[in-house]
Amino acid sequence: MYSWLWRILPGNKLMKALQSALLVGAILTALYFLVFPWLDALLYSEPTQGI
Amino acid sequence: MPETILADGTIIHWSPVPAKRKKNSKLLIVGELLVTLGILVGLFAVYEVFVQDEVIAASQTKLAQQFGHEVKKSKKFVDPAKAKTLGQIFGRMYVPRFGSDWTRLVAEGTRWHPVLNEIGVGHYTRSALPGSAGNFAVAAHRGGFGGAFKNIHRLESGDRVYLETNDYWYVYKYLQTKIVDPTDVSVIDSVPFELDGAHVGGKYMTMTSCTPIFVNTQRIIVWLELEKEIPIADGPPAELGLGK
Repeated sequence: MYSWLWRILPGNKLMKALQSALLVGAILTALYFLVFPWLDALLYSEPTQGI
Repeated sequence: MPETILADGTIIHWSPVPAKRKKNSKLLIVGELLVTLGILVGLFAVYEVFVQDEVIAASQTKLAQQFGHEVKKSKKFVDPAKAKTLGQIFGRMYVPRFGSDWTRLVAEGTRWHPVLNEIGVGHYTRSALPGSAGNFAVAAHRGGFGGAFKNIHRLESGDRVYLETNDYWYVYKYLQTKIVDPTDVSVIDSVPFELDGAHVGGKYMTMTSCTPIFVNTQRIIVWLELEKEIPIADGPPAELGLGK
């Protein structure tokens, strides 16, 4: 999967590395700003007793 | 085609090109997916413990700072005696032990929404009003959702908790810490029997939160006693460093 991704990225090794870093950054941003807050809201509900 | 002759004379022909390992490449993808899943779960744990807590703590602090310190004729908060509806904000709390910049609003009720998760500190509905005889009891989250009482276990003798309302600064001084079961609701009684020296007519305050942090199977209780009331016109207590 990752080796396939590495193969289809254009350019030399440096370009491939840069593009990979950008991809990782984009995925992390989406996770931390969209996916995780959404999951967090799903995960917790008020217990019947306590805090 | 290369061949190998064994000791007994058998000739084995073998191909120099290894057969394509389709099965293995499928396994490789499964492995990569599992590793990816593991990393995602790890990232989510980091989000839950650090990011979500900090983001909500910052928003609760900002909410508390929106109210100024100048003594105005117009009232800032709802009068504590009139705060009967869930989420009505009747005061603001300062605990120097939690940090010089720690501040939270105090609202009526102890529900997650809209009190503990959004505002910070909630007042147990049927407990006493601040400054009056009985037990003024409040609750807040320990870890996650802004963890208002994250450092409640650090409170010790000599510590003070300050509550600002429209008319007074209430200064409570630390008495005792106790860890109890969630079912031990007597800790917020007017005269908590587990509090050493508690007597009828005492003006107590109880802070409650979950413990151990992020495990939440028990409750941590801090009892305090009213030390003094300062009219709001006299300005914030000097030790808070808020200025006039």
